[in-house]
Amino acid sequence: MSLTSIIITTHNRPKLLRRAVESAFAAGTNLEVIVVDDASTDETAAVCRDLSGIKYVRVERNQRVAGARNLGVLASSGQYITFLDDDDVRLPGSLDKQIKLLQTNSEAGLIYGQAILVDQSGEPTNQSYPRICHQGDVLWELLGQNFIPCGTAVFRRSCLDRVGLLEQSLAGIDDWDLWVRIAELYPIIGLAEPVIRWRRSTPSSQQGTSAADQIVLQSVQQFQQSWKTLPRVLSASHKMKRQAWRRFSANMSAHLSFEVLRALRQRRLAQATKNLFSLLRLNPAAMLRLVRINNAHSSL
Amino acid sequence: MPSVSIIIPTCNRPQLLPRAVESARAAGTEVEIIVVDDASQDETAAVCARLAGIKYIRLDRNQGVAGARNVGILASSAEFVAFLDDDDLRLPGSLDSQVATLAAAPKAGFVCGAMLLANQNYRLTGEVSAPPEKDGDVFWQLLELDFPVMPLSLVIRKQCFLSVGLLNRRLQGIDDWDILVRIAELFPVITSSQPVGVYRQPAPWSGQGSSMQSGQLARAANHQLQLFKLPRVKALSQSQRRAIRRRTINRVADTLLFSAWKSLAQKEFGFAAANVTTALRLNPFRALRPAVVRRMGKTLSERLSAKNSNPGGLKSPIA
Repeated sequence: MSLTSIIITTHNRPKLLRRAVESAFAAGTNLEVIVVDDASTDETAAVCRDLSGIKYVRVERNQRVAGARNLGVLASSGQYITFLDDDDVRLPGSLDKQIKLLQTNSEAGLIYGQAILVDQSGEPTNQSYPRICHQGDVLWELLGQNFIPCGTAVFRRSCLDRVGLLEQSLAGIDDWDLWVRIAELYPIIGLAEPVIRWRRSTPSSQQGTSAADQIVLQSVQQFQQSWKTLPRVLSASHKMKRQAWRRFSANMSAHLSFEVLRALRQRRLAQATKNLFSLLRLNPAAMLRLVRINNAHSSL
Repeated sequence: MPSVSIIIPTCNRPQLLPRAVESARAAGTEVEIIVVDDASQDETAAVCARLAGIKYIRLDRNQGVAGARNVGILASSAEFVAFLDDDDLRLPGSLDSQVATLAAAPKAGFVCGAMLLANQNYRLTGEVSAPPEKDGDVFWQLLELDFPVMPLSLVIRKQCFLSVGLLNRRLQGIDDWDILVRIAELFPVITSSQPVGVYRQPAPWSGQGSSMQSGQLARAANHQLQLFKLPRVKALSQSQRRAIRRRTINRVADTLLFSAWKSLAQKEFGFAAANVTTALRLNPFRALRPAVVRRMGKTLSERLSAKNSNPGGLKSPIA
């Protein structure tokens, strides 16, 4: 039986998939690679037939990322689980290294690492994220910001028995939500070296985020309705809670400010306006910073 | 390897749980009993430790029934799964016979049997709730809420979840209906009038989810619009979709009015009022038909005036 399950969810991106799968096999020994085809309507199924050694799961009705990841977990048999996006690349041997560390630290529930950022053309940059790898009890840092790139995280299957599965209604922050729930109960290990190459288009978001305002809105809701009611957060001091919210909203407004400017530069005025309104609602003072960022950019 | 996993989510009901577990044990020979303790804060864990031969999963953070069922599905090592609520019972041998049926029909998604209804003290009322006698494609009936079925009476092929997804946690109380509709869209179904379980009927005061009937039905009616996005519904013409919608709304309104009338007869006025209000919101014309209003009014005035009349002698307001 395989020790580790790498779950790759994919939807209509057969060109990138092969590279992700090959990198997964090279990342470690004693592993299974599960490709969850989330109701692709193109030649993804045919491409997957050519990939030897994978476990192919065909989902007939689109579940979006979180739902597809859950189905990957259902189809998996590994004791350790990790997700890989179809446009990311695992670095050779990286998984074995992480598993070893997780095994020697029986208390920890999850280990993550750094991601080498890759630009849209696929060329690796010289930047890695996150620059600082928090370790141990990271709940409070994690409430402020998701510093765990999804593809770098490896967690114990048994964690899910205690905290539940991914919340499928969350789009784009389902991983963040799971890390928060795991970090509430388990220490986390941060490996300060790159384990994946990550195609990320902005410094603080997951994907292309054409609708940054939606993601922020959803994050705020999740913070207020779910994370704030986690027992450890509930029982924390008022000061701790306030600090967590400050960090969270500062991070969210920084993200939105960036997205406002990006949308403006790309002449996507409707999206820029939406982002701007979300920003105003979240943090009116951030407007001042927006002006400052813009000045800095134009002076460059 | 067990052939079927029976998943029992439980939260703070240690006094009822052992009975459900024992009934599950007697229901089949190769059964994996999975108790998912949904973050109980009482002696549930200790009670489970005394139950031999179960797979005990302890959720430390409450996930709700659907979330707990999903965790149970994840822990299951069998080809088929069944669900059992901690206050219901499975009949002896019932899992074996349903599993045999489903195993013999490799294309079918789930099998569905009948339930014996019981009161809060597990005393049988003599009523039986059987699924409609229709095998095969039951998608449209399920979608129109015209296929009364409960998780208790099912055995599901686990493979189906990989095609249509897991239970939706955000659909409290109707997650089971939602998943059955999604399975039935793609897989044929086998029904049988053979009783397989004992359903402990909720009383309005029991605090069980299903006693919140009006809210649940209203949510189901709402959620149907989401299910209209399923490809088989999308392929219909607009007038066909509208007809489905109309029939469903009317059916839900009628169900609500009928149970409002029953609860009037038992002087549960608050419950009746909730049901009538929801029915009015769904379809005022349906709720205000003269015959319905007349019978409701009659029952109400009878209950208010006479103290000990016999509710069994009343006629249904829905002819």
